[in-house]
Amino acid sequence: MNEQLSPLWTHLSSENRLTGTWRAALPNYQDQPSPCLGACPVNGRIATWIGQVKNGDIHGAFVTLADNNPFPAIAGRICHHPCETACNRVEHDETVGICSLERFVGDAALDQGWAFPAPEEERAQSVAIIGGGPAGLSAAYQLRRQGYAVTLFEASGQLGGLMRHGIPSYRLDRAVLDGEVNRIAAMGIDIRLNAEVMDEAALERLRAEHDAVFLATGASRPKRLPTLDYDQDWIVDSADFLAAPQDEQIARTGAHVVVIGGGSAAMDVARTCRRLGRAVTVLTLEPEGRLPAQKVELDEGAEEGIGFVSAAMLHSASFEGESVTAHCIRVEFQPGAQRGQFRADPVPGSEFTLNADTIIPAIGQDADLARWAELLDANGPVIATAPGWQTSAPGLFAGGDVASMERFVTEAVGMGKEAAHAIAGFLQTGIAAPVPEIAPQVGYDRINPAYQEDHARTHQPVADVVARLASFDEVQEPLTEAQARKEASRCFSCGTCIFCDNCYFYCPDMAITKLEDGGYSVKTDYCKGCGLCVAECPTGSIHMQEDEAR
Amino acid sequence: MEKIDYTDTGQFCSGHVACAGCAEALAMRVILNEVGTDAVGVVVPSCTAVILGGHPMSSAKIPFLHGTLESAAASAAGVKRALRAMGRDDTTVLCLAGDGGTYDIGLQSLSSAAERNEDILYVCFDNEGYMNTGGQKSSSTPKSATTGSTPLGKTTRKKNLIEILAAHRIPYIATVSPSHLNDMKAKVKKAKGMRGMKVIIVLIPCLPGWGVADNAAVKTARLAVESGVFPLIEVEDGLTYKVAQDEKKHPLDDYLAQQKRYRHLKDDDRAELQADVDASWSRLIGLAAM
Ligand SMILES: Cc1cc2nc3c(=O)[nH]c(=O)nc-3n(C[C@H](O)[C@H](O)[C@H](O)COP(=O)(O)OP(=O)(O)OC[C@H]3O[C@@H](n4cnc5c(N)ncnc54)[C@H](O)[C@@H]3O)c2cc1C
Ligand SMILES: Cc1ncc(C[n+]2csc(CCOP(=O)(O)OP(=O)(O)O)c2C)c(N)n1
Ligand code: SF4
Ligand code: SF4
Ligand code: SF4
Ligand SMILES: [Mg+2]
Repeated sequence: MNEQLSPLWTHLSSENRLTGTWRAALPNYQDQPSPCLGACPVNGRIATWIGQVKNGDIHGAFVTLADNNPFPAIAGRICHHPCETACNRVEHDETVGICSLERFVGDAALDQGWAFPAPEEERAQSVAIIGGGPAGLSAAYQLRRQGYAVTLFEASGQLGGLMRHGIPSYRLDRAVLDGEVNRIAAMGIDIRLNAEVMDEAALERLRAEHDAVFLATGASRPKRLPTLDYDQDWIVDSADFLAAPQDEQIARTGAHVVVIGGGSAAMDVARTCRRLGRAVTVLTLEPEGRLPAQKVELDEGAEEGIGFVSAAMLHSASFEGESVTAHCIRVEFQPGAQRGQFRADPVPGSEFTLNADTIIPAIGQDADLARWAELLDANGPVIATAPGWQTSAPGLFAGGDVASMERFVTEAVGMGKEAAHAIAGFLQTGIAAPVPEIAPQVGYDRINPAYQEDHARTHQPVADVVARLASFDEVQEPLTEAQARKEASRCFSCGTCIFCDNCYFYCPDMAITKLEDGGYSVKTDYCKGCGLCVAECPTGSIHMQEDEAR
Repeated sequence: MEKIDYTDTGQFCSGHVACAGCAEALAMRVILNEVGTDAVGVVVPSCTAVILGGHPMSSAKIPFLHGTLESAAASAAGVKRALRAMGRDDTTVLCLAGDGGTYDIGLQSLSSAAERNEDILYVCFDNEGYMNTGGQKSSSTPKSATTGSTPLGKTTRKKNLIEILAAHRIPYIATVSPSHLNDMKAKVKKAKGMRGMKVIIVLIPCLPGWGVADNAAVKTARLAVESGVFPLIEVEDGLTYKVAQDEKKHPLDDYLAQQKRYRHLKDDDRAELQADVDASWSRLIGLAAM
């Protein structure tokens, strides 16, 4: 029903002429996911929390962020940010600096000491989580929020997984890592450190003692090059190297280091070596421009003086006289259909050598599956799972690097979240809850550029190279609050109503009512279905829908 | 983004018969609400008169006198004098007419009222043609645009009404666009507060007349402003020019592409029109700098 209009001064056009009969389509108010949300591995409500940053509600932004990801300060530093690739603003000028904004919110939360609230109700059921990396911690957080008793078993002496034992502190300050990990621990999770789950018998005990188990042991066994003899002291394993304390890193490397591999891990090894004062050459199978490491890592690595030898393969290496000679050959590189698959054909006659003191291969990691092979379907490179991250064993779920080739921190966080959702469903109904589907996302064509801020992106400052090489301090420096709010104002709020009232004011038929609670409704008696409200909506939060009543 | 910030007090009502998506109704909404309750309207044959409604219905909450096409400004001047005789000196007289009624058929009475500096607020809804009669050309139709009576495109330029009015040295002339509602509101408010003759020209992309999509009137009007073909200006006392934007943000092509009436143009024609916009723009900037 339309609201009653006040009587007209003369005769009543509103009462007598219901122009709604002209209409074929009716506007429909419906918030819809933004493309950044769809691309985000944790499906974070980016448009919403960036809007909160824009309005200065940083705590609100933190609460929205933490709904899907308890690690905004970490993700804001090291996420591979597929959201920025998907951002609608790319079609306008340049992506919104989503990651830098996430870091801003995450840092503010740590500075202010914002904690996670206690669960609203305590539940009797308990879940065991094996592995204290991002996947395990994310699942622990989501389950604990819902009141489940959570016990987390971590093999090493500290939580964080590869965020601690892989990613160096110049990309992720340890105080930040500790802050975000401790905030989860403080929710009342029973944490057992130095508690490696050794074998299937131990796993079976946990299954018996708990109502569900989540296996998130990661993939930290370095792949090995068959032609190298890893017993030589001039060959250093990349995982051991990155996990080692600095004095050990110094002791294990000579003046010139050759790093094998073009991914994140190789870059971390190479840049760590540069900070130890080593000359570094990175040898990659991939040609220039195709290296799998993030662009920012490659750019910063190059600035820090890393030499790259691309589209080449290490053939063998031998210690000759004073130093090591690496025998290499150029390759023709062809990527395969899936991430991590490729062909590299040596180019005959293109052999060359590199001189080195130390060789550190960093060509990827495998999951250690052998110990679960009797119990689980572990024939592939990862544990096989059904939707909701269920393994072949009932009540046992697996996620993160051990169950997926999508090997990024936020992917692991997203899997932990989805697994927690499935586990909660399993505990409540006996059936693992399916991963919620994401609705179609708002494209750039639905955004009205006329109402958008035009200023260029504000990038995070970067420390100067000389200072960078002299310490392990962070390279990327934070945005100030003013910069963050300015950058946030570049967001189109795709599919997320900002209550700007454009639709209300641009309706030539006064057919839109502002509701008390801040929303809007359409007066069906008068709306002629022109679509002007939709066209002038800056955010794509309304769309025309065929009017079934007509 | 800048929020639209006028208050709709219901002075213009739903149930009017403007085409779906018509920006004229949108502009009437802003103008009638800003003019307020202490006002008497005069309207002459045009889309506006149809939108306001034939007797006995009205979609406006102020009384309207429906006059003849030749006499908009004269009728409004008469109403104003009658009100003054009744002691209602402060009642706003709002005169609404189309471009046919302003640039052509009512130009004589408009000029006379301007010369006498009658205390009226005259609003011309400029849809660049005789539109409620089916879309014939007026002297406001721009060069090259097709209308029912110029099927190959008009051969002469759009009459420069602003300079004609400026020559009368009236207190206030302004152009406004349905894409810039805050600007429209501010100019109506300013004009309402002034004594003497005020003329506001509103650009109205006519959906059927120009061949614009039902949801694109505002976009088209915005492109008219931003391409410099219809700059938002104010002229005070016929001498002081003010332009709201300091540069053109779009090539004219972006504006032309929204409309079927320019569909027949060749690259050369478009270049010629662009050159004309550029020349008019420079001239305007020159006037504003004086
Ligand atoms: C050098 C390096 C740099 C990287 N940089 C980035 C980056 O910049 N951005 C990004 O997004 N990703 C990066 N990654 C990838 C990312 O770190 C991983 O994808 C992510 O940490 C996987 O999370 P996870 O929880 O599955 O496993 P992990 O982080 O590996 O955590 C697994 C945990 O389980 C514990 N565990 C293992 N077995 C047992 C057991 N039997 N019992 C108990 N505990 C056990 C381990 O000790 C570990 O703490 C990088 C990886 C490496 C190696
Ligand atoms: C002297 C006179 N000639 C012709 C008409 C018929 N007529 C009524 S409205 C109109 C068109 C007016 O055009 P315009 O003023 O531009 O208004 P629009 O319909 O475009 O809004 C015409 C020609 C008339 N009413 N009076
Ligand atoms: S503009 Fe904002 S909401 Fe839209 S995709 Fe980019 S970050 Fe997401
Ligand atoms: S602008 Fe008004 S009339 Fe047009 S579709 Fe929207 S609500 Fe309906
Ligand atoms: S126009 Fe503004 S108020 Fe209306 S739906 Fe779009 S964002 Fe919300
Ligand atoms: Mg007209």
